Amino acid sequence: MAIKATKANKANNYQFAGASRRFTLRNYRWRELSLFIIPFLIILLEMTQLLLANLDPHSSFSTKSLPTIHDLIPALGLIGVLLAANILLSFTFPKADQLLLPLVGLLSGLGMLMATRLGPDTGVPDLGSRQLIWVIIGIVVCMATLFLLRRMSWLRRYKYTWAFLGIVLVGLTLVNALRTKNLNSPTHDQLNFGPLGLQPSELLKIFLVIFFAAYLSENFDILSEGTLRIGRFRLPPLAQLGPLALMLGLALLLFLGIRELGLALLIYGIFLCMIYLGTQKISYVVVSLLVFVVLGFIGYELFSYVQLRFQAVTFDVVNWQNWTTAQTNFAENQGLQIVQGLIALSSGGILGTGLGLGHPAFVPVIQSDMVFVAFGEELGLAGLFAILGIYLLLIYRGYRIAIEARDSFNQMLAAGLTSIFAIQTFVIAAANMKFLPLTGIPLPFLSYGGSSVIANYIIIGILLRISHNTAQERDGLG
Amino acid sequence: MPLQLDIFLLILRLLFIVLLYLFLMQVVIVITRDLRKSAVASVNTVDKAPPVLGHLVVVDSGPSNILPGTRFDLAPQTTIGRGPTNTIQLTDNSISSEHTHIWNRNNVWYVQDAGSTNGTWVNNQPAMDALPAKAGDIVQVGYITFKLTQ
Repeated sequence: MAIKATKANKANNYQFAGASRRFTLRNYRWRELSLFIIPFLIILLEMTQLLLANLDPHSSFSTKSLPTIHDLIPALGLIGVLLAANILLSFTFPKADQLLLPLVGLLSGLGMLMATRLGPDTGVPDLGSRQLIWVIIGIVVCMATLFLLRRMSWLRRYKYTWAFLGIVLVGLTLVNALRTKNLNSPTHDQLNFGPLGLQPSELLKIFLVIFFAAYLSENFDILSEGTLRIGRFRLPPLAQLGPLALMLGLALLLFLGIRELGLALLIYGIFLCMIYLGTQKISYVVVSLLVFVVLGFIGYELFSYVQLRFQAVTFDVVNWQNWTTAQTNFAENQGLQIVQGLIALSSGGILGTGLGLGHPAFVPVIQSDMVFVAFGEELGLAGLFAILGIYLLLIYRGYRIAIEARDSFNQMLAAGLTSIFAIQTFVIAAANMKFLPLTGIPLPFLSYGGSSVIANYIIIGILLRISHNTAQERDGLG
Repeated sequence: MPLQLDIFLLILRLLFIVLLYLFLMQVVIVITRDLRKSAVASVNTVDKAPPVLGHLVVVDSGPSNILPGTRFDLAPQTTIGRGPTNTIQLTDNSISSEHTHIWNRNNVWYVQDAGSTNGTWVNNQPAMDALPAKAGDIVQVGYITFKLTQ
């Protein structure tokens, strides 16, 4: 018996620390390191460009005007943290996916640089260093997530706890917002912990994905059979649908309560993705979409601010020479954000004005909701396409991790978390370009905002852990 | 002629765009190589069906209607559960949809519970974490007891 017990312990140790014990240079994450080279160059180059852009453009260039090491400290700090993450992961989780961190690191670097550039123009001179601190905290949280998630079953087993925790956090915010009776202030969805304003809604979306993944993977067979028939559609038994609908309904109500339409849209989109992945039935998606259209129509009729958002989408900007007084009035007041955003995009052209050389600060809330436009103006169409390409690769990699995962819970979790990035990027980028009503959700990793950066890094941490578990399972414990 | 600053900034900008697309290309190359490798791997696994390395023989069927003495083949990666995606599908109410995960590494079997409701044991030890097992060991999945054989 005693011999068996030590054997079992040994096996446990191998699973959690086996790789670190047998660390060799072959195990080092060389691929990740080689993928980091170009992002680091880009970050340094753009930092230099940003510092030079403040000088007189007609002066002659000399090596003296190049920034010193001291000026580049923010960029070097970010590079150092990313390298530290690379080394730490090589020793502890060498089999975790090697593409995620370079992609995300480049996005965070660009986000940090854009915050540095926009800070002085938006009246917060230290916006860049704040964003840098958030990114560093985010990377630390990402590593912590990797270490804390020793067993994925914790996430699955306590699914109701996670979901209720998220809902209680957002509920507190709602109470807070109602108490101050200031639903129009931009920070009404924040909870203040000392000097930090956190948005619990960012965490709620992760908790909800964990809940959906756990619930759908457990009721997989029952839900995909479908027993209730309505016409040609089969609906799942109501008992199995109940908890799903309850969580979804609570989340949607909370978001409508704090007037975060964008987040409600995001949560509903994730729900659609996951129910399709979980059941592989297009009929559920069709029914859910119909429900969404009905809900959207009710929302449109009830809330004036929803109508305003839609008005901006239908607004004719191209024909600006023949605007009536009412239209001009709209463009200068309610529609200012969208119209100025489009002007900024068009002034960027194909190659952009160059970082620090445009005038994106005419657009209200440029640093978070409209940051896509700022990139469009200063990096141009070419830069925007590259950024969208980075997002595409990130999302591809996330779904790839989902496909390779070994059980349905991990698959659903990875796919659901990746869908958060996909839907969020789509909704806010489309809104910035006047294809969808503008809603206040951040562009992952590029927008300024602490909660959003940290939540996104938690997602990356979970994805890395799932990919590590899968690879370890495939290649054995040693 | 001294270099004007705005010309230098233009060069930096073009360099930036070139670097961005180089990075995208590098990532795509890594991904293609990766996909090719896993395609080769999956072709190999299609060619030879997973070898049967061992068996689970039902010793005590508990409340279920599985006959004692039934033999289940064990592939190098085997999952046991009620769901249709499992290698070994056991249709009994005491079995969770994904119940137990058994895999072989260097001729040692490892048994781990896959988050089931009724648990998994190896020689009466709960297999919350991966437990090693060898031929002759008793593996209990929910209320059904198996013996691991070669």
